[in-house]
Amino acid sequence: MSGGSARSLGKGSAPPGPVPEGLIRVYSMRFCPYAQRTRLVLTAKGIRHEVININLKNKPEWFFKKNPSGLVPVLETSLGQLICESAITCEYLDEAYPGKKLLPGDPYEKACQKMVFESFSKVPPLISRILRTQNKEDCSGLKEELHKEITKLEEVLTDKKTTFFGGNSLSMIDYLIWPWFERLEALELNECVDHTPTLKLWMAAMKKDPTVSSLLTDVKTFQGFFNLYLQNSPEACDYGL
Amino acid sequence: MSDDATRTLGKGSTPPGPVPEGVIRLYSMRFCPYAHRTRLVLRAKGIRHEVININLRNKPEWYFTKHPFGQIPVLENSKCQLIYESVIACEYLDDAYPGRKLYPYDPYERARQKMLLELFYKVPHLTKECLVALRCGRDCADLKLALRQEFCNLEEILGYQNTVFFGGDCISMIDYLFWPWFERLEVYGIADCVNHTPTLRLWIAAMKQDPTVCSLLTDKNTFLGFLNLYFQNNPGAFDYGLSC
Repeated sequence: MSGGSARSLGKGSAPPGPVPEGLIRVYSMRFCPYAQRTRLVLTAKGIRHEVININLKNKPEWFFKKNPSGLVPVLETSLGQLICESAITCEYLDEAYPGKKLLPGDPYEKACQKMVFESFSKVPPLISRILRTQNKEDCSGLKEELHKEITKLEEVLTDKKTTFFGGNSLSMIDYLIWPWFERLEALELNECVDHTPTLKLWMAAMKKDPTVSSLLTDVKTFQGFFNLYLQNSPEACDYGL
Repeated sequence: MSDDATRTLGKGSTPPGPVPEGVIRLYSMRFCPYAHRTRLVLRAKGIRHEVININLRNKPEWYFTKHPFGQIPVLENSKCQLIYESVIACEYLDDAYPGRKLYPYDPYERARQKMLLELFYKVPHLTKECLVALRCGRDCADLKLALRQEFCNLEEILGYQNTVFFGGDCISMIDYLFWPWFERLEVYGIADCVNHTPTLRLWIAAMKQDPTVCSLLTDKNTFLGFLNLYFQNNPGAFDYGLSC
């Protein structure tokens, strides 16, 4: 099982030992959308893995040896190889592990997924800023920008005439963008998908996917986390445990 | 002469026809560093291609059907498929065409090259800002300091790896993806930013010996001629150095 519900490790914690053979380790945080990408791919591909949650408000000193930027997610193999950056970790897992390929084999279809990923790229920083903005005025400007970006994605999906962003089956690009859509309700941003019916259908289809639903976090838990996180509480990352 | 030595197409130009089979088309501009990446990969892999240069200050209306914001580079194949974003275009070419693979086969080594690319992300913006500041007579000491810091990070990587190139002892994709900005340091007036990074200077020297890099080197005077006209907002800048 994914074991993603373990308490986070913070300053003063003992560094974990090497990764046992046959397993891959992900340094994560239960509410991080970037780390969720990696956990989605690990789960979708049925890859045996262990999760070590990091207290992002009180980072262990040893974690900077895993990633000098101190960010999650990071993958560590039993050979001691470290892979950082969520999109890079996801692509690595798809290439290194057998079973269902999440990225298309066709070079053009693969390039299309990467172009959609680029169109999505303004969404995470916008949502981050909205989360941190207390001022109603600034917020409404940001929400308008978010609405524009989401409309672009609606157009992409409508043009494709398929259920998912990579075709009629769920694939890598859907997992890469999902975590932010999962958080819209908890952030009271559902209005941003009011005028995007194709995206609404996509969200409903995503929620039915066994991998997505196995990693879903409910609205109240997200809100509890956001509250503590914005107050810089070292308890935030373990909210709900 | 380089295969991209053709006049740019601007507003009012006739849209080009479909791409003939067996050829891939690149929409480009002779002095653009991002398009330069794609030209390096096309050349390195020996891919039959045609180049259409776009006048970036006077874009043809039809070009917005190739790219929503009229940016370059864009690849178009004979199936009318369009691929944009320089890094995506380069990876597409490596995947779609046979012969020499520029990205490693090993998934971890591939991931390493992509992580290296992340480390490079501030360089294009900083070099451009330095160029603009110098051309406008502004001080750019802070910008150069920031750029030197980025180069120090890259220097550290090469030192730690103890290899000639960023991907190992042979040139590979990551080196081609970095190269265009290093080629421009001198003409931008910021060559002194590698004064304290000897391993990076060795890499630059090794890159200049690569046949692909060599075949696409732009002569310094031609580049300066382009830059002069560009900063005077002359739409003829993009065709500087072309005969007739």
